Amino acid sequence: MSQEEPLLPDDVEDKRLMLLVAGGDDDALRLLVHRHHPRLVGYLRGEVGSQATAEELAMEVFIRLHRAANRWRPEAKLSTYLIHIARNLVLNEWRRRGRKPTTALDSTPEPGDHSQTSARRLNELDEAFQRAIAQLPPEQRTAILLVVQQELAYEDIAEIMDAPVSSVKTWIHRARGRLRELLKDFYGPA
Amino acid sequence: MDNTNPSTFERDLSAALSRKAAVVVPGFADRVVEGVQVKRRRANVIRWSSWITTAAAACFFTVFLTKEPSEESLIKQTHALLASDESAQFNEILGLANDLSVLAPVIEKSTLVDVLTSPGS
Repeated sequence: MSQEEPLLPDDVEDKRLMLLVAGGDDDALRLLVHRHHPRLVGYLRGEVGSQATAEELAMEVFIRLHRAANRWRPEAKLSTYLIHIARNLVLNEWRRRGRKPTTALDSTPEPGDHSQTSARRLNELDEAFQRAIAQLPPEQRTAILLVVQQELAYEDIAEIMDAPVSSVKTWIHRARGRLRELLKDFYGPA
Repeated sequence: MDNTNPSTFERDLSAALSRKAAVVVPGFADRVVEGVQVKRRRANVIRWSSWITTAAAACFFTVFLTKEPSEESLIKQTHALLASDESAQFNEILGLANDLSVLAPVIEKSTLVDVLTSPGS
């Protein structure tokens, strides 16, 4: 974040909590995790395709955040910083496993669906998208998840991925094309 | 974002990903705090163990390796050993000498010489 850009109330609260965490305040850490874990787990689930692994990795992200709390400087948004750590862990996880994330994704029915048919259709579509996303090359998958799912700006994604904005745009463009190709049964050829 | 004119595909992509964008995990924050506390305790144990091991090693080094006996104490020890060992020998020797000295008046040299040099012997 540039210095001229004013801090949003959420960022101010994050900064306050991080100072408390650095001082050893476990309640502040609990609050911070409570605020940030849903999006982090959501992102990680998209990356690794497994709820259990996503939770394990998210746990490690927060433990690392806690360890680095003394050194943390609020130049970047905390949410961006968390995803940056998460992405590094995902890369390590892939290296450790020696392969890309599983394509057999967890399937959890959405509790808010009323019609069984539409729920089935929705789940089918969700699963098709998740399977297709799991087949993308790592950079394309991360970029499309961050831009569409996490609604991050190109600049933030570039920072997270340690890459130029132009590369991020290319990855996103290619990811869309590849997804359309993989889902041509649903949408027809691109 | 470059999806300003979303097609059905774009809309579905966005919807499919957004539905999983935020996953609330009940009790997750407590699990993280617990994990942090466990790691903190483990780090403390390792730190204390390391400190105790270092201190013990330092004590051992000081007591057994670096402590040399002073010259004075060495001399004292030597004297004590000599005294304890030699005293018995000295006592024996002195005891014999005492016996001899006790016997000395009984066997007088002159008497003995006289006996040996007497014509009838």
